[in-house]
Amino acid sequence: MPSFLREFFKRNGTGMGSLMLGLVLFWTIGLIILPQLSMLDFSFRPNLPPPEIGGPKDVYTLENYKYLVYGPEGGSQDYNAVDLKVFFRTLVAAICVTIFNLILCYPIAYYLAQTKGNHIRIFALMLIIPYWINEILRAFALRIIFGETGVLNNMLVGLGVFDTPFDFIRNDIALYAGLGYAYILLMIFPIYNVIESLDRNQIEAARDMGASWAKIHQRVVIPYAKPGISSGCTMVFMLSAGALAAPQILGGPSSLWFTQLIYQQFNDNSDWPQGAAYAVVLLVTCILLVLAVMRLFKVNMGDIGK
Amino acid sequence: MKNLSFMRLSLWVYLAIFFAYLLGPLVIMSATAFNSPSFPRMTPWECLTFEWFSALFRDERILNGIWNSILVGAGTVVLSVAMGLAGALMLTQIWPKLRATYYTVIIAPILIPGVVLGISTLVFWDRINRMLGLGADSWLSNGLFLTIIGQSTFIASYCMLVLVARLQRYDIALTEAALDLGATHAQAFRKVLLPFMRPAIASAAVLAFLASFENYNTTTFTFGEYPTLTIELAQKVRYGITPAISALAFIIVVLTVFAALANEASLRRKELVAAARKKATVEELESGRLKLPGFLSSNAAAVALVVVACATVAVVGTASVYSPAQCIADIQEQKRLETQERIQELRRQRDLRRQQQEQQGEAAPQATQPSTGTGNNSGFGGVFAPGGLSGDGEEGIEAEQEPQGNSSGFGNVFDPNALSGDGEDDGSGN
Repeated sequence: MPSFLREFFKRNGTGMGSLMLGLVLFWTIGLIILPQLSMLDFSFRPNLPPPEIGGPKDVYTLENYKYLVYGPEGGSQDYNAVDLKVFFRTLVAAICVTIFNLILCYPIAYYLAQTKGNHIRIFALMLIIPYWINEILRAFALRIIFGETGVLNNMLVGLGVFDTPFDFIRNDIALYAGLGYAYILLMIFPIYNVIESLDRNQIEAARDMGASWAKIHQRVVIPYAKPGISSGCTMVFMLSAGALAAPQILGGPSSLWFTQLIYQQFNDNSDWPQGAAYAVVLLVTCILLVLAVMRLFKVNMGDIGK
Repeated sequence: MKNLSFMRLSLWVYLAIFFAYLLGPLVIMSATAFNSPSFPRMTPWECLTFEWFSALFRDERILNGIWNSILVGAGTVVLSVAMGLAGALMLTQIWPKLRATYYTVIIAPILIPGVVLGISTLVFWDRINRMLGLGADSWLSNGLFLTIIGQSTFIASYCMLVLVARLQRYDIALTEAALDLGATHAQAFRKVLLPFMRPAIASAAVLAFLASFENYNTTTFTFGEYPTLTIELAQKVRYGITPAISALAFIIVVLTVFAALANEASLRRKELVAAARKKATVEELESGRLKLPGFLSSNAAAVALVVVACATVAVVGTASVYSPAQCIADIQEQKRLETQERIQELRRQRDLRRQQQEQQGEAAPQATQPSTGTGNNSGFGGVFAPGGLSGDGEEGIEAEQEPQGNSSGFGNVFDPNALSGDGEDDGSGN
């Protein structure tokens, strides 16, 4: 037995130690690492009926990844334009949702963190309540509002802004609003946590030195809040790129989200390896994008999730 | 000074917009649960009804979904709190060089999209199942097992974060003292560490249950034969929405508000009691005659809690005696009249056009020939424009025959159809 293991058991006792070690190993290896590797492995295999799995035809192939780029073999087009378009649209839209959320949430996080008083607790309560409501129901609520005969259309037509009801769902406005709505709290809390620990004297010192309001934020608050901002942005981006419920409920009939393609491969086409390949592409692209942006803004990985 | 008040004003406008965006949808959704049209809408308001609540309680699939959600939630809470606690304890004593890697691994599931977690769980356990040579109906491919496992993967990370925050304030010397005094490791854990961790464990458990209850992305791949409430709701919302879903949402909103207010009220009360103790003299404390503040005094959350409770009782009481039948009949009668008026209006227009046509017909006799054959005041007259209008007329009558028809303008008659069409497209698209 290696010395660090012996010390570990001495410290925790044999029974407690092995229980703890067992749970941690089950979680990290059995639930996190192995399933991801297994999915990666699966994505390189052809789609075979169950009896043939492990047989001579079960060899590694790049077929599933080729499909995303070039489309079905012998297809009329050079590239799989439909799926690729959905993929890039998903990424761009997720980035837009993230930026929108950041702009919307930064002021409120700053306000909540830097103001004292009883009403702040009420605001915090009001922030948390919507987050406890089911994701599906939140999307449903927005669908009622953005529907063709919904409250918003009735109001806008009544005010004379539009002559005919505007189709928010077909134009994807409902989808973006829904995605932004779903992850507001995940943007506010990390920023709030960081700004709360900012010493108010720093802001006042900057003000005494004659810094303008914009300058204070640019030079004092935002640099200080960078870990919170980056962890909020990362979470919102990852979750909205990987969202499934909001696009299914609020998306227009002609526009798809990339996760919906994955869902189709699994449930409608029963082509698991193809779906796994798409999932791997989504995961890897998102991670690379997040890492690139973090390098650009010089944020460490360790700051995320704090 | 002027600048400052402008800032203040814009701040309040911003706050108002923000909270309208945040809470408005929930309020409107709750309101639609009490309106009688079968398509959830707030305007035009027709009749106050409680029918959608009874429709909800008659829905077998929803009730079954709630039961499955509770089963999954219970399993997830136990598994993820246990794993989260073990993971948090491990984080405090892992080899420093491994620490960063270990932390990345256990925090990663929060950032991995739920869809990916669901797929990887499904694929992995399917493979294990095949490797062990078990059939398709073994417990490893059971929807309940897969859902609990899949959800726990990332919910344990949330629990770990909550528990680590508390664990950082734990003095390890306490455990060492217990061990020195002859306690076994299990005893030291149960009697020293666990009581200290209890508040954090409770909040981790609540968090885990809520996260499990509302999870959709992971569950949608793993649920098998155990559709949870969220899955059932998603099916319903995708294939046609009814106010019964609003009714369920309203119940959940009310329960949430209750829980939040109760939590806030008890926190505030604890603060008040602590403050009163601090102010009290030693005599008062010792004689036990300390007057503690009442439950409702200077506790806004408690007052709100009582108000909400009274309102709920009042609503339930009204619901058991109230009957909207008369109102619904009135609305239907009104709609029938409106539709009749519209049909008459259409007929008048059609007659007018035919007259015009006949006048033109003298100039171009071939064009009018067919129209005089089928003509007359039936719904099928006209060759040119009136044909399109008669179609409208028919649809208007159809819509009127359905009890859920609309009350206002012609455009609205088509809207539910158009929307349900969308829903179908959407469904087949997925």
